[in-house]
Amino acid sequence: MLYPKELSGQTLSGQVSGRTQSLPGAVIRLEPGNYLAVTDAKGHFEISPIPSGRYQIVVTFMGYGKHSDSIDIVQQENIFITLSPQTVNLQEVLVSDHLAEQRKRETPLNIEIVNDDYIRQNMAGSLMQSLARLPGVGAVEIGSGQSKPAIRGLGFNRVVVVENSIKHEGQQWGNDHGLEIDQFAANRVEIIKGPSSLMYGSDAIGGVIKISRLDIPAPHTTGGTADFVFAGNNMLLGTSGYAFTRREKLFFSARATLTHYADYRVPADSIDIYSYRAALSNNRMRNTAGKEQNMHFTVGYIQNGFSTQILASAIKSENGFFANAHGLEPRRVDTLLHDKSNRDIQYPKHKVEHLKLISKSNLTQTNSAFDLNLGIQRNRRQELSPYVSHGYMPANFPTNIGFEPEIERAFEKHIYSANALAHLNTTGRTNISLGINNEYQINRIDGRGFIIPEFEQYLAGIFATAKYQHTLATILHAGLRADYGAIRIDEYSDWYTTPAEEHGEEAYAQRAANLSRHFHSFTWAIGANHNISGLSLKINAGKSFRMPTPKELSANGVNYHRFSYEKGDSTLSPETAYQLDAGIEWNTYRFAMGITPYINYFPNYIYLNPDFRHNHLYGNGNQIFNYTQSSVFRHGAEIHSHFNVSRNFTLGAIAEYVYAQQLSGDKRGFGLPFSPPPMLLLSAKYVNKSRQWLSNSYLSADIKMVAAQNRIVPPEKKTPAYHTINLSAGGILSLNKYPLSVSIQIHNLMNTKYFNHTSYYRIINVPEPGRNLIVNLQIPINREITQTNHSH
Amino acid sequence: MKYLVPAFWLAFIFSCTSIDIDDEKPYIDLNYTQAFPINCDTLYFGESFIFKARFTDNVELGSYSIEIHHNFDHHSHSTEVSECHLSDPKPAINPFLYIEEFEIPPEQSEYLPEITIELPEGNENGAFDEGDYHFLIRLSDREGWSDMRGVGVKVVYRD
Repeated sequence: MLYPKELSGQTLSGQVSGRTQSLPGAVIRLEPGNYLAVTDAKGHFEISPIPSGRYQIVVTFMGYGKHSDSIDIVQQENIFITLSPQTVNLQEVLVSDHLAEQRKRETPLNIEIVNDDYIRQNMAGSLMQSLARLPGVGAVEIGSGQSKPAIRGLGFNRVVVVENSIKHEGQQWGNDHGLEIDQFAANRVEIIKGPSSLMYGSDAIGGVIKISRLDIPAPHTTGGTADFVFAGNNMLLGTSGYAFTRREKLFFSARATLTHYADYRVPADSIDIYSYRAALSNNRMRNTAGKEQNMHFTVGYIQNGFSTQILASAIKSENGFFANAHGLEPRRVDTLLHDKSNRDIQYPKHKVEHLKLISKSNLTQTNSAFDLNLGIQRNRRQELSPYVSHGYMPANFPTNIGFEPEIERAFEKHIYSANALAHLNTTGRTNISLGINNEYQINRIDGRGFIIPEFEQYLAGIFATAKYQHTLATILHAGLRADYGAIRIDEYSDWYTTPAEEHGEEAYAQRAANLSRHFHSFTWAIGANHNISGLSLKINAGKSFRMPTPKELSANGVNYHRFSYEKGDSTLSPETAYQLDAGIEWNTYRFAMGITPYINYFPNYIYLNPDFRHNHLYGNGNQIFNYTQSSVFRHGAEIHSHFNVSRNFTLGAIAEYVYAQQLSGDKRGFGLPFSPPPMLLLSAKYVNKSRQWLSNSYLSADIKMVAAQNRIVPPEKKTPAYHTINLSAGGILSLNKYPLSVSIQIHNLMNTKYFNHTSYYRIINVPEPGRNLIVNLQIPINREITQTNHSH
Repeated sequence: MKYLVPAFWLAFIFSCTSIDIDDEKPYIDLNYTQAFPINCDTLYFGESFIFKARFTDNVELGSYSIEIHHNFDHHSHSTEVSECHLSDPKPAINPFLYIEEFEIPPEQSEYLPEITIELPEGNENGAFDEGDYHFLIRLSDREGWSDMRGVGVKVVYRD
């Protein structure tokens, strides 16, 4: 339905002030319609055009009480709002979806916050690929449908992913394992850049990715959304359906996601694997098709000051691996079989299943809040390929072994987590948080190849943080944390025999010995925020830590995907990192700029160091790679800025840079693996909010320029510089009663052949995907209830 | 804090002094006139042959390994540009396997390995399977950079 013109074009303007002064940077929100405005340097704001009608207006400003009122807008309105000073209630900050800016101004850490609109507008094959445009955020890619998170060049076990308040645990160490997260179920993603062990414990040494489902619906509503996605390059078809209902206090929601994609296409006819050239059929990366099936259920109860939710999810995916090279080993392919269909998933492939059950409860009182979060997870992963006798494995697979010949590796991990958190507002100026984290995991392995042992692991941490509102503009932070960790590794011996060194008996080689290790760690952080009108300053210093993984302690086998004989070291100490982090952000009506420099020192970074020796008894003639510790210095910065040329037209720039150097050990002077090269992204965006049948429409172009990466470690390859152009457009179409959100993207517009230094397949010269058209549609089933209500 | 400040200073000083690093891989030269075996060569059970190649590196070579394994199932591909004729796929019964590593004397930037490799008549299970084998050479330099070449060979009994 089209609105009559005279009803659609009202303007609401006004002034927001405190008791004595105007408040620049206050956030004004109008519902329904989610109209947002921020006051300028004089505390003035304007929202236009808005249809006439009754609205709920909410005004927030850091350090002041929230102003909430209803307002009838029938003509041009001008209002005056006075806020009274109040100490910030941390709980409010945590649950407010649209107050990302406020969260940024109050934490001493450098963070990025995006919502589901951002993910939809930037959607790529997997969550981390969709987020990789953010400054300092990267993805270690494995084909078109999988990726692992990387923050400022650190990834794998150095980044913690928290989904719905529970640490996500898969097989993070793996080179070719993606993150088991449904990107359609991520309503809000907060990325903390830099060491954050204080709140998140071991592994948060590189940063944290916090993913939340924010689906507490408004009382007495029922509704849902339907999402559809299509990608041209790999012929991806995906859909995600979401439904919810809430009575007064009880609510339910459910989501189902299905995606299926074919082999992806690269702008190349062949791939040079070592000196061998593998021909591709129709530019397709043979056998990289995949599929994903996800389910989510939530049931919750909410009443004044108390909420509890049970969130259950099942993520299932199956992906093929590039058939011409299993890992890095060139493989002869049956082109008749593999090129028959682009959509089938042949060997080699993997299957992953991640089940999660989370209970989240919160009790909020006038001066305190308590959280209790419990989680159970089960992660199962199987790598499947036809049996090949590597090294001393028998030529033919024996019949009396307890696993199928096709199972190359299999892992089953059970994880139990329990976290409790208390927020106390003691004097009105001081907020204190106390927390306890507990996590127990048990990992079982199967299959013909050994890479990590079976293990049990227990981690416990206790922490206290304080936030002190020194003045209206200055917030001081400090925190302490103590951790205890225990790992028990089980013995593992080969299922086949290896000849002994000198004319001895053949024996079952022991790969891992029984091992028991205990770790203690003590970490801290101090920080400050200073916010004056358009200027926001932050500084943070701290220590973080990471417990060595079972693979780092006990690996003793060949990673056939990399031709490396990887050896753990059972004496490794916990990795520690010291970081000094700063953030300067300057905002005016027309121009905004932020710079976030950091320096980071690891006295004992755990590094898989390539030796010059080879080993035939345990390593089947492969090169030895030893886990070792060296001191590492890193520094870097991200810069982002935008300039509003006019009301509708914005120019933007994002740059990121990270430098790492090993200061000791065999590789003194070298950098670190998977180091992202410097990057500059220039963007131009045109936004138009005034059309009737098409609202919030945008058209934008990005040019991404990436420098060469010549600082490499063995066995990496130098990666040349490149640039790519991405286009995107979208808006909300209101042709009938259901507004349709559309976003269209073209990735790699010029179909440029380039290499991504942080891609798993970089080493065998697999270029990045060619031109890709991605279309995303979202239809809300009920218009009024597309916004969620978070007021307690 | 008392460790942090000196640590950062130290790190800064270190990071300002640029250290020359070796970022070049070693090279296995099979175009070397005496190189043996090369792609499509034939080796004989019950006889020995001399492995010859030319290894080079910009700084210092490290070690190398040699592996001979069957390729009756055509599972893997040689790294060589030219294809040689493979026999039809067949199941392995008693395939021959050889894996050995060799260290290169220090301070060599060029090295000509000459290794005599004995191919036995058979083992306790009798004669070895004749047919397509892979001859895999892995070379590393002292810094841990590596090169790998896989050549397709036939290993048979001499009539």
